[in-house]
Amino acid sequence: MSTARSVECRVAGPLAYLTLNRPPVNRLDQRMLSDLAQACQRIVDEPAVRVAILGASGNVFSLGLDNELLTAAQPPDFSPLASLAIPVIAAINGDALGAGLEIALCCDFRIAVDHARFALPETSIGMIPSGGGTQRLPRLVGKGKALELLLTAETIDASEAFRIGLVNAVVPLPELEASAEHLAQQIATRAPIALRYTKEVVRRGSEMTLEQGLRFEMDLNVLLQTTRDRAEGLKAFLEKRPPVFTGE
Amino acid sequence: MNAFETVLYDKLPSIALVTLNRPRALNAINIRMRDELWQVIGAVRDDPDVQVVIFRGAGDRAFSAGADITEFGTAPSPVIARQVRWQRDLWGTLASFSKPLIAAIQGYALGAGLELAMCCDIRIASDDSRLGLPETTLGMIPAAGGTQTMPRLIPPAMAAQLCITGEMVAARDALGIGLLNRVVPRDELFPTARKIAEKIIANDQRAVRTAKEAVRRGLDLPLVEGLELERRLRSRLGK
Repeated sequence: MSTARSVECRVAGPLAYLTLNRPPVNRLDQRMLSDLAQACQRIVDEPAVRVAILGASGNVFSLGLDNELLTAAQPPDFSPLASLAIPVIAAINGDALGAGLEIALCCDFRIAVDHARFALPETSIGMIPSGGGTQRLPRLVGKGKALELLLTAETIDASEAFRIGLVNAVVPLPELEASAEHLAQQIATRAPIALRYTKEVVRRGSEMTLEQGLRFEMDLNVLLQTTRDRAEGLKAFLEKRPPVFTGE
Repeated sequence: MNAFETVLYDKLPSIALVTLNRPRALNAINIRMRDELWQVIGAVRDDPDVQVVIFRGAGDRAFSAGADITEFGTAPSPVIARQVRWQRDLWGTLASFSKPLIAAIQGYALGAGLELAMCCDIRIASDDSRLGLPETTLGMIPAAGGTQTMPRLIPPAMAAQLCITGEMVAARDALGIGLLNRVVPRDELFPTARKIAEKIIANDQRAVRTAKEAVRRGLDLPLVEGLELERRLRSRLGK
């Protein structure tokens, strides 16, 4: 157990499974951050991987930073996760607090178990979130709800998180793995380059003027016309069969 | 405590309670109320005992039905009207206020009334409230920031619909689109607003204001710059 990585990475076909593994509550320490960065690098290096699922061991997703990181001069760096080009699904198996929630905010989808709770409680200890929470939460759930969560430091349950759009779906614990995997498998059947471009154009496009964003979308479409997958998609549609994409 | 005619100002421990007080006119914001709000807001900003501000409307029919249209066109000249507007930039001051602002809404919140609420950080409403920006039905556009604050608060498609049609939405629908944080029965409105204020007051106030600043300024930036802002603000807090 002592040699186990605090973030495990397992690749199976087109899916990569990242697992936060620092029992009992997956508090983030420096080693975990570098393990996370390494796991993300492995995904970057494996072109066969089309979708990643980020989960956690036990029945807690993560209770946030450990004391050392909490008082460190440098904020935690989640950019290796946030900058992954492929879609990433967070499978939230329990409470996601502070930096634990901020990690989930770096993902594209969030599926949570019904007993999970969520909070960015930093203002209650005289701090502000430092892993992007003040920036990503309002972009995800809107300014009104984000400010309420940040200013009150309150904890919300899974159904409220679903209502405000913080999580995409809420499921019972026994169904979590299957739900995340079902979504991942579905996404993995789509054309890989189109998936990456879509993620890129939605993320970057929302920071541009509409005119620039439309131009960016068009340019990526033109680029996609040069891919084999695009020809395969069209051909399969005309032949009324499911397409087989290779990522070329 | 009260030297004002159109605004009631009460101080609860750590909370400033600002009541729009023209109940017979549905708390419509006239020039006098705007000037008195400007004074109150200045006092609240500078009062170190105040940590959170709650806005509400007097009477049981409205938070505020908006600008008082009976005074429209009464300014000596457009030039003076504009000058006063900038000298007493109530809306700009509220939109960049460092202390948390809560709106407790009952009945109508229309036009400038809703715009005042949208300058707040948290909006609680009674279940019989109705909200809207009816300016276009009067040949105007929202003028207290509504065209800018609303699409930043709720999905742009809904903001466009509300700004363009001038239609009102019921509290429950407003909750669904994120225009309101919570909807409660009328008798729970103020206790709920106060409870939220108490939760905020229990936290570290420097951190609270810094978090508010990070969200407010960060949303106007690309994500990468917003993350950089968050880092700078965190180190400013000394952590």
